[in-house]
Amino acid sequence: MKLVARRTVLAVGLGGAAAIALDVALAPTIAYPGAQARIGAPAPAFTLADSNGKTVSLADFKGKTVVLEWTNHDCPYVRKHYGGNNMQALQKKWTAQGVVWLTLISSAPGTEGYVSAQEANKLTAERGAAPSDVLFDPKGDVGRAYGAQVTPHMYVIKGDGTLVYMGGIDDKPTARLADLKTAKNFVDAALSEMTQGKPVSVTTSRPYGCSIKYSS
Amino acid sequence: MPITQRPAVVHHRSQQTRPARQRASGFIAYVFALAALLGGWATASNASPPADELVQAELIAEPAVIRPGEPFWVGLRLRIKQDWHVYWRNPGDSGEAVSINWRLPPGFSASPIAWPTPQRIPVAHLVNFGYEGETTLLARITPPASLATAAPIGILADVTWLVCEKECIPGEASLSLSLPVAGAGAAAAPTATATASFDAARRALPQPSPWGARMQLAPDRVTLQVDAKGLTPGAIRSAFFFPYAETLVRHAAPQQLDVTRDGLVLRLERSALSTAAPTDAGGVLVLEETLGATTAAHAFQLANVAIGQGAAPYEPASLTAVLQAAFLALVGGVILNLMPCVFPVLSIKVLALVEQAGASRSQVRRHGAAYTAGVLVAFTALGLVLLGARAAGAEVGWGFQLQSPAAVALLAYLLLAMGLSLSGVFHLGSSLQGLGHGLTRRSGLAGSFFTGALAAVVATPCTAPFMGTAVGFALTQPPALSLAVILALGLGLALPFLLLTLAPQLIGRLPRPGAWMETLRQLLAFPVYATVAWLVWVLGQQVGPAGQFAALAGLVLVGLAAWSFDATQSAGGWGRGMATGGLAASLVGIAVAVAELESDREPVGAPQSASAARHERFTQVRLDELIAAQHPVFVNMTAAWCITCLVNERAALGSQAVQAAFAAKGVAYLKGDWTSRNPEITRLLQKHGRSGVPLYLLYTGSGEPVVLPQILTPATVLGEIDRIPDPPQRRASLPTPAKE
Repeated sequence: MKLVARRTVLAVGLGGAAAIALDVALAPTIAYPGAQARIGAPAPAFTLADSNGKTVSLADFKGKTVVLEWTNHDCPYVRKHYGGNNMQALQKKWTAQGVVWLTLISSAPGTEGYVSAQEANKLTAERGAAPSDVLFDPKGDVGRAYGAQVTPHMYVIKGDGTLVYMGGIDDKPTARLADLKTAKNFVDAALSEMTQGKPVSVTTSRPYGCSIKYSS
Repeated sequence: MPITQRPAVVHHRSQQTRPARQRASGFIAYVFALAALLGGWATASNASPPADELVQAELIAEPAVIRPGEPFWVGLRLRIKQDWHVYWRNPGDSGEAVSINWRLPPGFSASPIAWPTPQRIPVAHLVNFGYEGETTLLARITPPASLATAAPIGILADVTWLVCEKECIPGEASLSLSLPVAGAGAAAAPTATATASFDAARRALPQPSPWGARMQLAPDRVTLQVDAKGLTPGAIRSAFFFPYAETLVRHAAPQQLDVTRDGLVLRLERSALSTAAPTDAGGVLVLEETLGATTAAHAFQLANVAIGQGAAPYEPASLTAVLQAAFLALVGGVILNLMPCVFPVLSIKVLALVEQAGASRSQVRRHGAAYTAGVLVAFTALGLVLLGARAAGAEVGWGFQLQSPAAVALLAYLLLAMGLSLSGVFHLGSSLQGLGHGLTRRSGLAGSFFTGALAAVVATPCTAPFMGTAVGFALTQPPALSLAVILALGLGLALPFLLLTLAPQLIGRLPRPGAWMETLRQLLAFPVYATVAWLVWVLGQQVGPAGQFAALAGLVLVGLAAWSFDATQSAGGWGRGMATGGLAASLVGIAVAVAELESDREPVGAPQSASAARHERFTQVRLDELIAAQHPVFVNMTAAWCITCLVNERAALGSQAVQAAFAAKGVAYLKGDWTSRNPEITRLLQKHGRSGVPLYLLYTGSGEPVVLPQILTPATVLGEIDRIPDPPQRRASLPTPAKE
């Protein structure tokens, strides 16, 4: 009978411990779906079709600085930066220095900003743009992986594949052309600091613009 | 200077820039706007916009005439085409806030925009914060004191906005307003129309939060804690926080709400764009409170939110924290053995062991186990009742059993009976599993079990003040964890006796049985009587004088019952019959006394101090008295945990206008606090088909009362008060209140 007594105590103890263990295991976790790219972490890998029918991967540019620019040519904020020749100037300046500039379109088919490969090339020619490549992400997977919200939404990736900048193109979140003159361009600043071997001082900013017309 | 009978509105130029394929319609809109301007449609009476207009912007002012040095409200009213939206100060994942650039005459100043509570506007997997339909952004303009009254002044505003459905179109307008200036003495009351539209606009603003708030920042998480104490978990249906900071949280992520005893905790996902603490951690908190079958939404402005300071908010506890609490509870349980409630019980049990020094070791151990089981079963039962009550929304903590006067009285009676037994007034036979008897008999195991249960029950009054920390922590945890901590407390209580039975060599060290045991037993009655005295004092806080008398009479009856019981054991024949009758009568008397206690319950819980409005405490007697005197009465049934009640008192009932109207009409203001479920209030609620507060009744002096809506505005209350006739002579006959 003494065994019974011990067992009682043991069972009560174990029961309590089991209850604790169970509840700790069931405690709500704080992870939500929707990955976010993070500064200092490897930039999400991707492979997408470009406007010339080729397949382009982020991995192709190992060792090179890569700029990602989300766009939608009908968005007033994109029009501000192309209409004022700001985006094209930036593309020319940095591709000339060996930076890879990828323009991404995540608009779903039938939504604003979605274009065919020919239309994309025509837009590039018309606007005098100079990206290294224009990539199509009609399913929006790459946009979602990067947490891209708006057009223009900008990312800068270091040669080793880590993300060093994400956010808006500058600090004037308006659609007014006149604001280009006084704006501080974060992408230009980040790329300049990188060429000088300095750490990027502003790594994030509020992305501003039109929401990306994702497929739902 | 003529005063127009509508808000002064002048709408000038409004133009929109559009994407190429909408340019044609944009041009048409422009032509319409131009035609409208020439045609003078831009007055309030003729303001129907062309169907194509996405946003119609107007500048409106509350007063028809302004006066030097007196601030006044102006509003930017935006009428937005269906399905389109404009943006709040933090636009969310995309978009751009409406901006106003004032161009004011010299000496004038404008406040920042007062933003109405925004809506969540989902776009695919992203979320925007903004407005659909119609919204009015307010600003307060202060003219200089030295304003010349000769000519009207012009207020100009350059306004820009982004309006989106799926596509986004920036818009802008230069708006102006011309306002005449009156001399210092001239009447310049706002028109009724203007007052109505500005009142509506002000109602759309979030209210200043009645609670403080703190924010904790972790690399991937933001925890917002709002010190709204005393809310019941079921009462808040939803909560959403709109942060001012644009890159602090992932706007589309779910916000996880927990309602704890200390307030609301919202867990938000920190945005990857947030690399530093925000300069302003404030925002707007929207709560949806359940009111019976309906819900009421309230928006509060959280300002001065401290970052990373103060007590750590509630988190799902780590295993370490739970083990710590359980250990603390275990130690506490051991110490409980020394408390006056428990010590006598334990001592008697130990004395029994001494008496039965010859019993076999296995039998002794069986008793130890039975005693432990009794303690644990009793604690489990108490824990389950407590958790059940909390799950049902009752605001109870450990020691809840002492919040009911009947439970306190029954405990006191139980302890008195125990004390009387120790004193030798009556002897419990072994058949009743007496304290310490029948250890050698098999049925004695049940005796040990019930002794354990008794120890647990009599221990609870002592646990309440003593075990606050561990049990308080346990109650913030999920039920299984709460129960684990409560069980650890029980195990601690049982532990000394259990160890004694598991190590019989310890029993050998106890003094040999003898006459001293009887003396000790009688001596031990006194800590028990002391506990009874304490419980009667506790009871005195909870009931009125009649209840106190009932409680004390009950004690006397316990004495009678104890004596009668002993007589039934020893007397014979008719003496035994009389004793049995006496026992039965005293038990009935005790039941009556306990019932009396519940009805004489004093209201507990402090009345709300949020409103400084003068009021009397509600009683049905007072209400009947006022109704009989045909005196107008306003009845407000509230509770400390009811947010809607709080908001109504601050925004409507406490407002100067309402208080002045109460005074002018001589309305008596009765306020009932339902925080502790006053049955008198419950009856009145049920009479008006309500299961909970708030309830607002206006007795106009004759007939049935008007039942006001659950969400009040000053206008609603004033409108109802207006219906009361005001015979001035009635005030002389106002019955004086019995007590405040």
